[in-house]
Amino acid sequence: MIIENVIEFVAGLSTGQILAYFWPFFLLDMTRYLFLDFIVIILYVPKKIIEKSKYLRARRQLYRERPLVSVIVPGKNEGKHIPRLAESLNHQTYKNIELVVVDDGSDDDTATICRELEKQGKIQCFIRNEVRGGKASAANTAFHYSKGKYIVHIDADSHLALDAVETILLPFYMDSTIGAVGGDVRVANAERSLATQLQAIEYMKSISTGRTVSSELGILRIIAGAHGGFRRDVLERLYGWDVGPGLDGDITLKIRKLGFRVVHEPMAVCYTNVPESFRRLAKQRFRWDRSMVRFRVRKHRDILLPSARFNFANFMASAENIFFNLVLDVKWWIYFVQIVIFNPSVLEYIFIINYLLYFMANVLEFVMACVLLHASLRKKDYALAFFLPLIPLYTGIFLRIVRTYAYIMEFFHGASYLDKWNPWKVSQVVKKEKL
Amino acid sequence: MRQPYYIQPADSSLICEGAQLITQEEIGTIDSNNVAFWLIDMRVWTEGWDQLCWIRRNLSPAIYLKPVVFLTDSDDIPREIITASEGCISRNSCDDRILQEWASRVEPVNQWIEHLPNAESGSDTNIAFKVLRIITSRNLELEPLTTIRRNSGYVYPLLEPLFGKRDTGVLETLSFLESQHLLSGRFVSRAHFCGHCSSAFLNFKEVCPQCNADDIDSDELVHHFKCAYTAEISDFRKGDRLVCPKCERELKHIGVDYDKPSIVYHCNQCSHTFQDPKITTSCYNCGRESEPEHQEVKTIQAYSVSAIGQNAADYGLEALFTKILDTELNLFSEQAFQDFFQIEVARISRYKLSASSLVMIRFHDLDKLYIKLGSRAHDVFYELSMIFKTVLRQSDVITARNETIFFVIMTETSGEHAARAVERLQEGLQALFASNLDFKPEMSVKIEALRAELDIEVTLEGFLKNDH
Repeated sequence: MIIENVIEFVAGLSTGQILAYFWPFFLLDMTRYLFLDFIVIILYVPKKIIEKSKYLRARRQLYRERPLVSVIVPGKNEGKHIPRLAESLNHQTYKNIELVVVDDGSDDDTATICRELEKQGKIQCFIRNEVRGGKASAANTAFHYSKGKYIVHIDADSHLALDAVETILLPFYMDSTIGAVGGDVRVANAERSLATQLQAIEYMKSISTGRTVSSELGILRIIAGAHGGFRRDVLERLYGWDVGPGLDGDITLKIRKLGFRVVHEPMAVCYTNVPESFRRLAKQRFRWDRSMVRFRVRKHRDILLPSARFNFANFMASAENIFFNLVLDVKWWIYFVQIVIFNPSVLEYIFIINYLLYFMANVLEFVMACVLLHASLRKKDYALAFFLPLIPLYTGIFLRIVRTYAYIMEFFHGASYLDKWNPWKVSQVVKKEKL
Repeated sequence: MRQPYYIQPADSSLICEGAQLITQEEIGTIDSNNVAFWLIDMRVWTEGWDQLCWIRRNLSPAIYLKPVVFLTDSDDIPREIITASEGCISRNSCDDRILQEWASRVEPVNQWIEHLPNAESGSDTNIAFKVLRIITSRNLELEPLTTIRRNSGYVYPLLEPLFGKRDTGVLETLSFLESQHLLSGRFVSRAHFCGHCSSAFLNFKEVCPQCNADDIDSDELVHHFKCAYTAEISDFRKGDRLVCPKCERELKHIGVDYDKPSIVYHCNQCSHTFQDPKITTSCYNCGRESEPEHQEVKTIQAYSVSAIGQNAADYGLEALFTKILDTELNLFSEQAFQDFFQIEVARISRYKLSASSLVMIRFHDLDKLYIKLGSRAHDVFYELSMIFKTVLRQSDVITARNETIFFVIMTETSGEHAARAVERLQEGLQALFASNLDFKPEMSVKIEALRAELDIEVTLEGFLKNDH
């Protein structure tokens, strides 16, 4: 009955009405996330095939040079994950790797586990800081004691695919202007809960496809802390990471400002553990979304302003992010008010049609991700398709509410400065300094 | 009145006014009762030391137990040499008055020697016994002294001349005397010794865990809160100030704008960075390197004589209860006892026809008995051993851990019968002491039936532990 009504309602709509009722989808989301992604991926896949010889040449050069690569892992209370991570490094196709682990004031048995691994030669350098200094200082400690020509930063609760280190290094050998390479991040614990299944799809969409597209467009704005490769000389020029949260996005912009390219390599795969409950997921996203305001709008505002060092790509990287996430976040609430006030009688139809539109868009995006990543996907990754019907609710409602709340809290209360993610002593200083 | 005797150095015509003159060869020929102390000239201290060694290594109690005083004219004689004597007299201040003062001071030692039976004619061949007598005669607590002249790192100066260079023998002898309850020890220190050559001269050093090099540096790590820059403190040093190389801000207050989260070591040989340096020891004597846990750790103690020890020093080790018991009952060594235990357990388990029992006995306050009995100890202990002999049978096996602890295997004896035997032993003891002395002997006893699952060592140690 209701389906018939919906069909009848759609059939009776003029083009103008369609745009009036569904403008967020047709004018913005479909254009940006579906058409643009589609075009870029269509061009990217054959480009990869064409560039195969360039890729092989880079690989030969990498193995001829065989530089030391430092995998740095800062973290607190992450000891239980380190043995698996060390093991995954041990089996890498690329062998000249050192593992540098920094224990940032753990109060569990992390130090005991890591010292044992250090004795076994599975960790080359282990530094324990008795007092917690925060993620950035731990990353900087690890960087300070690393010796590699390239630095791969990964989260402790992650492990790498066997060719991940080799693959993340290759872009450096294909283009000398590349300063950093973002590795692909996939969900390691997808089977654990509904929340992790939905995040697995989200990661395929927003990281694997989304960042590949941004990278191809030259507007990649973040290299995930969970998996990122950096040139040592570039990090040395920056003296490492600044205080977070959001330090990965921050350093990416700083690298861009130095004039280096940053790219995403979807075939360099890292599996990471994501929050298993919606509550923990909300807390994580609350932290991530606030950093958008703090770093893009506040700290790196200069990118958006005309100056002698103005760079269009950098401007676009920041502006696109601010526009599609921050500004368009407001659009949803305007749209919601518009429908409730002006079209309350067809509210349920508009909701159902929107749901179907976004569901179809997600199906297409999932297909694009599968085409892009097929070489590195496992059978169980395809099975995620069963959860696609839930994605509009997940991204359209759950994540949107969290994001809006995060923006409000950061704009009006500077909530990120109170976040326990940083030690209090650090938060005090950065708040005082308005960093 | 006893006189000091100045031992004239060989090939010398030196004399000391106020003291009798004697050569080393003549020492055995004089009546030692007239000797207050031996005065040894330390002008050439190595020669003086040889004379002291000669005296202490003499077997006659009247000679080796005599006090020795050094005549010195310099301060550069090693401390452990000086303290091996009763004391020193400065050559400049040596006169009659001083010598007589010293004679009075050491008189208690001479009186103790005098009361010994056969002090003149006796011959103490047992080094442990000589040690016991030296300590008892001085009535002192024998304290160890640290030294760099002996491999052992510690010396007991008074005992050194008895042993010469066999300095490890000193520790072993003292340990033996303590195990026999003749000496009691007081904790002074715990020391590491080379597991190979027993030298106390070990260099404990921090080394690189990767290449074992000791060429390592350590540096504090500094974390600047504002910009999260973290590096060694040397990176921040700019003259007297600490300036962040990343943001060029001066670091002023630790805990407010920066902190020091840890210390990091760096190996200058292999460039390894680490926080847990390995500790190794290298021996100055034999040069061997090894981890501290592979070295020997010994407890260094000060020793004083127990009541049993005093009695033994007076009347000889033969006066000890175990000696008497050994003569009358034939005591087995503890090892032989344990071997027999295993055989007996195997026999009992094999045939399952009869039972044997293990009896553990501990006497309490036996040292008080030694003090009470004095020279009569020998007679009383003989009586006591006779009681043992009456109660125990030829087929029983007995061993003594020391003067107060005895273990007996009563063959072909059930627990019930063993308890009856112990009762008879107690009755005999009470009868002996009730009729002779105002002394109530206390003893702890435990009886175990011999069986395959009984661990002899655990059982014996368990008994001793619970009985404390």
